[in-house]
Amino acid sequence: MATGTKDHTIQGRPDKDADPTGGAPRRRSMPAGRVLVAILVGLLVWSLLYAPELKRASEAQPDGIRKTVSLAVLRPIVWVEDRAGLTRLVDNAASAMGRHPGEPVGGGVEGISTDVEPLPSLPPPTGAHPDRPRTHDTRLRDGSSTNPLRVVVVGDSLAQGIGTFAERVFRPNLVNVFREGQISTGLSREDYFDWPARMRYIVHRARPDLTIVMLGENDGQSLVDPNGNTVAQIGTSDFPSAYTDRAREFATIASSEGGHVIWVGLPQPRDTRRWDFITRQNAAFAQVAAELPNVSYFDTWSTFAAPNGGYTAYYREGKHVTLVRADDGVHFNADGYTILMRLIAGFAGQQFQLDPRTYEG
Amino acid sequence: MLFPTTDFAIFFCLVFLGHWWLNHNARLWKFFMIGASYVFYGWWNWRYVFLLAAVSLITQIAAIAVSHQQQPRRRMMVMGLGVAATIAPLVYFKYYGFFTVNVTNAATSLGLSFAPPLLQVVLPVGVSFYTFMAISYVVDIYRGDFELAGWTDLFLYLSFFPHLVAGPIVRPNELIPQLDIRRDPRHIDVVGASWLILGGLFKKVVIANYLAAAIVDPVFGDPARHSSPEAILGIVAYAVQIYCDFSGYTDIAIGVAKLLGFRFPQNFDRPYSARSVQEFWRRWHMTLSRWLRDYLYIPLGGNRRGTVRTYINLMITMLLGGLWHGAAWHFVAWGGLHGLYLAAGHWKQSRRDAGTLAEPPDTVLVHWLQRLATFTLVCIAWTLFRADSVATALTLLGRTVTAWGEPSPLITVPVVLAIGVGLATQFLPHRPAERLKAALSQLRPVPLGISIAVVLFVISTLGPRGVAPFIYFQF
Repeated sequence: MATGTKDHTIQGRPDKDADPTGGAPRRRSMPAGRVLVAILVGLLVWSLLYAPELKRASEAQPDGIRKTVSLAVLRPIVWVEDRAGLTRLVDNAASAMGRHPGEPVGGGVEGISTDVEPLPSLPPPTGAHPDRPRTHDTRLRDGSSTNPLRVVVVGDSLAQGIGTFAERVFRPNLVNVFREGQISTGLSREDYFDWPARMRYIVHRARPDLTIVMLGENDGQSLVDPNGNTVAQIGTSDFPSAYTDRAREFATIASSEGGHVIWVGLPQPRDTRRWDFITRQNAAFAQVAAELPNVSYFDTWSTFAAPNGGYTAYYREGKHVTLVRADDGVHFNADGYTILMRLIAGFAGQQFQLDPRTYEG
Repeated sequence: MLFPTTDFAIFFCLVFLGHWWLNHNARLWKFFMIGASYVFYGWWNWRYVFLLAAVSLITQIAAIAVSHQQQPRRRMMVMGLGVAATIAPLVYFKYYGFFTVNVTNAATSLGLSFAPPLLQVVLPVGVSFYTFMAISYVVDIYRGDFELAGWTDLFLYLSFFPHLVAGPIVRPNELIPQLDIRRDPRHIDVVGASWLILGGLFKKVVIANYLAAAIVDPVFGDPARHSSPEAILGIVAYAVQIYCDFSGYTDIAIGVAKLLGFRFPQNFDRPYSARSVQEFWRRWHMTLSRWLRDYLYIPLGGNRRGTVRTYINLMITMLLGGLWHGAAWHFVAWGGLHGLYLAAGHWKQSRRDAGTLAEPPDTVLVHWLQRLATFTLVCIAWTLFRADSVATALTLLGRTVTAWGEPSPLITVPVVLAIGVGLATQFLPHRPAERLKAALSQLRPVPLGISIAVVLFVISTLGPRGVAPFIYFQF
């Protein structure tokens, strides 16, 4: 094998791949300097064309140097493009291709198209969870094949996970599952995705009997309102109460039309540096659930903790061991979501007397 | 670092500049490219670079030990130890959890007490690919097919960023000699490279990502809630998705390498136009297929030890090929099913060779029927591959026949169009594309750059927001 530098080239002749049919026209090659010019022009023109969208995406990022630098570069470009009318032109082109340039980056308020009757009024449950009597709760109605129970799963990527497996755990003939999880969303950034508005819309359109909420994983950032104004800076003394208020507002909306809510707490992440913040988030969720009727808190943290209270990727049912956590140390894998969803369904049975026939135990 | 990101665009411009600037100085250039490749890899997790360096170190030590042994038995033994040492990190990182859970539960069911530590071992991206390249290097040296490379050559061979995370699996004799040849900066096939990169982006961002969200994920997420037409189309959509995702990645990798003056082997050649499963494997993930053939199937004896042994070798090869893709039983089942397909194909061919089975008529209609049959078999196997368990796959396959007459809201015009475009790429003629490329190559840099920008804008706008990772990154 050759080890020294040879003074011949591997590109000084026409590209063999360019002519697989034997008679196709040859391509002209280009020197490296010109190639770099073509690449830079390509990236520059693309970033000009795509600047409004890039700016929106940057605004949705968590605070940090990346966001600051991106916006410092993009804002003047978009300002010039706005004045020149280019933004409207590009947005029109994007609209023609199916994109909705005006909507929040995380997604707009549309989707569920099920107009349904209001939920019936039901008596309180006859037996409540032994740990926490909920005399102010009502019982979940029984689903039937003609009027299935309506279950909505909302939240972030964790909710997307349980949403998928909720469809498997709940019996299709007795329960309709609506998967409304939105990746990378949370309660902090209403300018990115406005969960209260979305939940209002869901309640109005679908009247869920049971809403399963799992979010908060992306909330380690300042609270921002839908107009982009900061409501509470993360790390300040205002933050905990403002965050609890947001959770309360959300749960109130979710349960506003007689629906029931299971607020699924966040599990332990592998990264122990985040434990303190998540513990406080879970405390806020539990507090809200304790305050509001028909809202209950499911403790994922303890359920999936190791015997010593630490993080483990495995779950034991008796002596059977299952790997339940994904490689990222945050999410669950398919087995994990299935187990979590079964536990949530069982918990709904304890708390709101969910009919055991509606789910796989 | 993912290819379709601004991070990579900036990284590549800097590397392109440094690469051609240092082109005349082979030694400096190699250090620069190793450094750039390690930055590319460390972008995911800086700790991974130590694993890559460790695998490179182990590989070169094993290769040196093999090359110094002249006595055949010892040489073979050293090679075996070297391969075992090279593959050990992959086995640990990829299969520890799988092994732990299955062994613990098997022991429990037998009434035994066996409790290995329940560690969660995170799989570093790309480790399956560069481990296979490392093995081929050690084995090629053992076989005398390749001479011992220098340390920098070996480190660069394994880490070279265009192939690092998801292939193609490049052989030593395909890449290492190129490291020592001075590339010609005057002749870069920029249109050929851009065609591959933009085509790969289109396949990934527009087709694969769209199909995943629109039909594949819902259908595979809960098969029991979907009608037969949705189940069938969901499976076909996955076949298109995985092709567009993986071949899209490979096209980008080959295009990026081309801009740097390197040739990578072809990895896909219109696999869904295959008329048999054997032919499918000659067209799908070609660099893995030939790796399995040359470093597993043939060393096992190939087809040289009788019919039964041939079938056994095929099954072992495909089962291990399945396990290479992931530490789960549904991947093993996928490999096993392909092993059965190949064994059946081999049996049929041997009957034809013996004259006991007639050759099919050589007509266009028969060819299309063969393509359809092959595609159906491949799709059945993809169901096992994509589903999260064998049970889910069987449920979905069952739904393809038991749920006719139910509503099918997921079957929409865009979904059918995306599947149609994805499948059409298998049958498009070469010549018009070559003519277009030749015409584009006449453009000067600025108009060419603007053309690239417009195509990029269309791709960015048509694709869903955000960057979905490539499917093969998890393997």
